[in-house]
Amino acid sequence: MPGALFCVAAALIEYFFGLGPALTVMLVGLVIADYLFVPPYADFSVFDRRDVMLLVSYPSLTIFVISLIERLRRAQFRAELFASVAKSRYEMLLRADNNRALRLRTIDETHRLLRHLPHYHDTIILIQALDRKASLRPDAQHVTGNANTLPHTSAPGSRFSSVHPVDAARLQNTLSPGSHRLRIKSGEHHYKPVDCVGERFTTHAGDFLVLRIGD
Amino acid sequence: MLHGLSSSPLEMRFLARHLNNEGFTAFAPVLDGYSAGTSERDMQAWIDAAVREFDALAKRYARVSVCGLSVGAALALAVVNQRPTAHAVVLLSVTLSYDGWAIPWYRFLLGWAYYTPMRSRWRYREASPFGLRNEALRAKIARAMQRNGISEVGPSTISLPALREASRLAARVRTRLANIATDCLIIHAIDDETANPRNAHYVASKIASPFLRTIYLDDSYHMITSDNEREIVAGETAAFLRESEAARGIGSGAESQVVSKALARRLRQLAALGN
Repeated sequence: MPGALFCVAAALIEYFFGLGPALTVMLVGLVIADYLFVPPYADFSVFDRRDVMLLVSYPSLTIFVISLIERLRRAQFRAELFASVAKSRYEMLLRADNNRALRLRTIDETHRLLRHLPHYHDTIILIQALDRKASLRPDAQHVTGNANTLPHTSAPGSRFSSVHPVDAARLQNTLSPGSHRLRIKSGEHHYKPVDCVGERFTTHAGDFLVLRIGD
Repeated sequence: MLHGLSSSPLEMRFLARHLNNEGFTAFAPVLDGYSAGTSERDMQAWIDAAVREFDALAKRYARVSVCGLSVGAALALAVVNQRPTAHAVVLLSVTLSYDGWAIPWYRFLLGWAYYTPMRSRWRYREASPFGLRNEALRAKIARAMQRNGISEVGPSTISLPALREASRLAARVRTRLANIATDCLIIHAIDDETANPRNAHYVASKIASPFLRTIYLDDSYHMITSDNEREIVAGETAAFLRESEAARGIGSGAESQVVSKALARRLRQLAALGN
């Protein structure tokens, strides 16, 4: 059977390169097979039963094999597309899950802040919003120039008035989470150093820092 | 936001509204020579018009991203190629060649038909499914097409010169893809009947963006901004623009913090693949 190897060649081309190149290889193979491997060799002028055999058997077998491989290739392409959809969906799911985790965390923090505020109400010195856009006292926006007044992102607590004025001015610029030492009024004109604690809360409305007198 | 060929900004309506609600300013221009209702001009005129609109926005806003649907996505690529300062580019159903399943195999004849007298007479007629998988919407669009000749998802016919200019634009964009290093989001439906997902594969493999995200949808056809998954398209576009901002250190970054361990693992995997 002169066309067998050309059939294998066309099948391989179909597997690696697709339908168009495979059909081209098949047609070229048909011509070469007829020219070189069907007697009389190297001659097109004689057309007999052997040529008809090749013309019928070789293309029909090759097209059959090629179309089977093409079906598999298409199914494979489709499966790869579905896999890429699944991958996109999984990544979207992970991002949504991440957002959910972030929201849960802010809700927890909001609850913690809500419990914190009444519990330490009598010892709170200052509450500051760390997000520049947030405003704790919208009415105070236009008086920020004065050194003794607080910027609109801060709100005084119940003990703010008893902090030494120098410390109060310093607080407005350099407040950070962690422990601080401030001078708090203890008598008529006496100030005593007291350990204070600054705690940060990440809530859905922004970040807040609450400074209170330590336990 | 650049709409599809010979269409109108109405295509982008849902996405624009969503982005606006999310705090972005969305602007969908009518481009002279490209949009429906304007006299047809060549693709260089399309690019010039789109770049002019971009420059006008860049004067008013600190960051401008470009978003395009279908041939508009190819136009968006041409715009960011000329203006690398663009913040991000979003490619929806990017169409570099018309090779989806609803396009007949003899479409290549159209390229030759341009040189025959058919050029001005014959018009490509949009047919069902109009790029829509959603059947209720498709019926509505079919009625609008019959009545007005144009609908939310495009015109009922496209002229031959416009199609040829679109092919020229695609050929130019193909050669310049490797120079584009803008953050890029590609969204494509795997059942797209106009542009095979190979278009999206091709862009994703050639483009030089450091931050590239590809999303494939399986419940839409070509008009992904109006079809079944329009909410996903809008949501992912907004999320991508925010993350792209956060990646450059703009904004508070609170939205793109990674707390989920599964997501962190996945991002590490992707980073390892990229290297």
